[in-house]
Amino acid sequence: MIPLLAVEDLSYQQGRSRRWMRGRSQFHLGPINFELRAGETLAIVGENGSGKSLLAKLLVGVETPSSGDIYLNGQRLTMHNIKQRCLNIRMIFQQSNESLNPGITIGSILDEPLRLNTQMNAYERNEKIVETLKQVGLLPDHRYFYRHMLSDGQRQRVALARALILNPQVIVADEPFAALDPSVRSQIVNLLMKLQRELGLGFIFISHNLGIVRHISDKILIMQRGMAVEAGKTDTIFNWPKNEYTQKLVNSHQALVGR
Amino acid sequence: MSRFNLYQEEFHPSPLQHTWLEFKQSHIALMGLWCLGMFVFLMIFGPLIAPFDPLEQNLNILLAPPAWSSTGTIEHVFGTDSLGRDILSRLIHGCQITFGISLLLVLVAMLLGVAIGTAAGMSYGIRSSVLNHLMDSLMAIPTLLIAIIIVAILGTGLVNSMWAISLALTPIFIHNTRDFVRKELQKDYVIAAQLDGASKIQIFFHSILPNMVELLVMRGTLALSTAVLDITALGFLNLGAQAPSPELGTMLSESIEVAYMAPWTMALPGGTIFLMIMSINLVGDGLRSALRNRLIR
Amino acid sequence: MSLLDIKNLTLEIDSASGWIKALDKASFTLADGEIRALVGESGSGKSLIVRAIVGALPDNWRITADRMTWKGQDLLSLDQQERREILRNDIAVIFQNPKQSLDPSCPLGEQLEEVIADNNVEGRFFWQKRQSRQRIAANLLHKVGIKDHRLCMQSYPHQLADDICQKFMIAMALASEPKLLIADDPTRGMEVTTKVQILKLLTRLNQIRQLSILFVSHDLLAISSMAHTMTVLYCGQTVETGPMEQLKRRPFHPYTKALMDSAPSFRKDLPPKSPLLAMDGTIPTLQHLPIGCRLGPRCPRAQRECVKMPEVRRVHSHYYSCHFPLHRSNKA
Repeated sequence: MIPLLAVEDLSYQQGRSRRWMRGRSQFHLGPINFELRAGETLAIVGENGSGKSLLAKLLVGVETPSSGDIYLNGQRLTMHNIKQRCLNIRMIFQQSNESLNPGITIGSILDEPLRLNTQMNAYERNEKIVETLKQVGLLPDHRYFYRHMLSDGQRQRVALARALILNPQVIVADEPFAALDPSVRSQIVNLLMKLQRELGLGFIFISHNLGIVRHISDKILIMQRGMAVEAGKTDTIFNWPKNEYTQKLVNSHQALVGR
Repeated sequence: MSRFNLYQEEFHPSPLQHTWLEFKQSHIALMGLWCLGMFVFLMIFGPLIAPFDPLEQNLNILLAPPAWSSTGTIEHVFGTDSLGRDILSRLIHGCQITFGISLLLVLVAMLLGVAIGTAAGMSYGIRSSVLNHLMDSLMAIPTLLIAIIIVAILGTGLVNSMWAISLALTPIFIHNTRDFVRKELQKDYVIAAQLDGASKIQIFFHSILPNMVELLVMRGTLALSTAVLDITALGFLNLGAQAPSPELGTMLSESIEVAYMAPWTMALPGGTIFLMIMSINLVGDGLRSALRNRLIR
Repeated sequence: MSLLDIKNLTLEIDSASGWIKALDKASFTLADGEIRALVGESGSGKSLIVRAIVGALPDNWRITADRMTWKGQDLLSLDQQERREILRNDIAVIFQNPKQSLDPSCPLGEQLEEVIADNNVEGRFFWQKRQSRQRIAANLLHKVGIKDHRLCMQSYPHQLADDICQKFMIAMALASEPKLLIADDPTRGMEVTTKVQILKLLTRLNQIRQLSILFVSHDLLAISSMAHTMTVLYCGQTVETGPMEQLKRRPFHPYTKALMDSAPSFRKDLPPKSPLLAMDGTIPTLQHLPIGCRLGPRCPRAQRECVKMPEVRRVHSHYYSCHFPLHRSNKA
């Protein structure tokens, strides 16, 4: 079976070497390999500055990898078919607050991807927006709202709606739960799991919260200083960590939960 | 306004409405807005209201004092000048010329500035920095000085001074636009729009411009007061609008000769300029603090 | 004896729609040598309580309390000078975002030596004093587990990692040898390994030096690993207070239970990918606080009585305010 998303030897070299930048140590990411099947969740865990966010950006196409390939349904993604990538791989940002344009209504924020990527007319787009808003647990009236009128949880739902509106196959999320309060976080986690079950989405997310990682992910990729140090099934990693850093992580987590 | 609310419904203003609500808080700014509204009204409907032709000379009543003086007539409410022209009509027409042209100049400068500023903000490398630093160095020179230099090259006249002033105003807009665009490009929502597949132009018009409107309005009012000052100053120096024209600065310079005999010929145009600039500045100030307050909340 | 005793602390903020009670009768006590966790989501007023204790509230806010005492001294009746005296000698605060609360333009060593009080410094002449200061600073850094004190003292905040900076903040807080350390979400945004280090350090300080800690956070995992007692806040109201173990095992208030449920790690039997128990709705904004029990509109057990503020009830050392508590059938 062809995996939904496959990443092979993806690597990234920061900055072209310029004369006046020689002194600085350059950040190097990768090579990274993983596979994701439909309906699976992959969690990316690692310390700050280990290149997790960069990896997410490479996947969605904000940054261009210096070498390596990304395959979607067995088809290689390049920078040329950016439209295809827009439709199939969508991103949720860490700060839902900043990823929504403050100057326009939620409706027009959601309208933009449809207008740019589909041939729908205004009426169909409106229908689709209402449908998606309902899907993420918001009201159709939220179309007329502006960003600052919504609470944190609602903003994260809007961000999710924007990701979902193009019926993607993969959603990449950069710390989607970090800025949320516990009681709201559970709602969003539930919503994500429900949508994943219904739509068969592949879901890649970055998180520090190992409790949630353990709960919702199928696979884990552990990163340290730009390298993938360990990858595998969630159960395996939590019970039999091999790498030293992974052991440290899991032990710390157990120490917190243990008492 | 008392409004009965059965349900405690929260009123969520859009950003523009919010700015207006904050603006309304300041009475002085609101007064400035009324005053500015009056000038806009005079600018549009001035020729219909003015009792006399501004250029019509009446040699029978030279230097008639205003109506409130003991020797004044009600026919010429603000009196007449040394050629017997009705000052009220001249002031009304002067508002049209001075204020209207300033507004036009600011709009031209804004369009030009935003276009160049956006190009500079969205491009990287040498092109961007050349545009930017060239304009920055222009900003170090006062606009009036630049205008005088340009007029000196092109020759005097209202049209030439208009070119000069709009060119002199442009760098400020370029600078502000570029800064703003640069700042916004770093934000997540622009990256999100990029991931939606938006091109650079689409990003600018749909994502950045809605957020920039207020900044432009605020900068516009500030530039407007500069433009009014420059137009009148050039008129006063006989570099801009020429003698018979009822431009306010030109009127002021004409009245110098009879200033001691007929002080009203000088005081009235001067007062009008003062009122105009003050109202523009009050509105600009009000807008600026309204924006600041909105961002704090 | 209780170190800090706060009873019915009410804080009102003037707004367009009248006075809003940002804190509504919040109360808790802190015993000597205790680690008390103050738990609440955003807008629950936990930071406001911290600011009320250290006296950093704007003058136009109304603050009233039945009791707000520090070792029996009424904090509200003290004047500015006396209050600062207490703050300087007995209470220390560390914040979230250590890098932002350190001076970026000054080496860390200088910042640390600056907070060492003059009467702790030995020696008569300035060079003796300087050496003494450096010795004390190095000792402090060793105490918080920074081994290479020389490197740390020479560095600027941006050169060091988050956890080292937070340890350094703790070292600065310890310089005045306080009785109480207020930690305002010290581990927010940290990854697990560094978080555990900071938490261990705080626990050790509590055990060795009998340092009382008021730990403010919404990270239940961190709290449950170190705190002795816990106070749960919701929208400025104290919802439940009691020993950590009891609250964890048998919470009486629905909100406490919802918070516990939100952390999947607490429930070992939870199958992976099963939906978490979540409370509906969102936290109300300050302008739209419900009357009575502020959890009312979101609470699954709410009934008509909930529009009245429930009284505080107690079972041994476990206080709660709810009309229809969990685990208790008799509505006493």
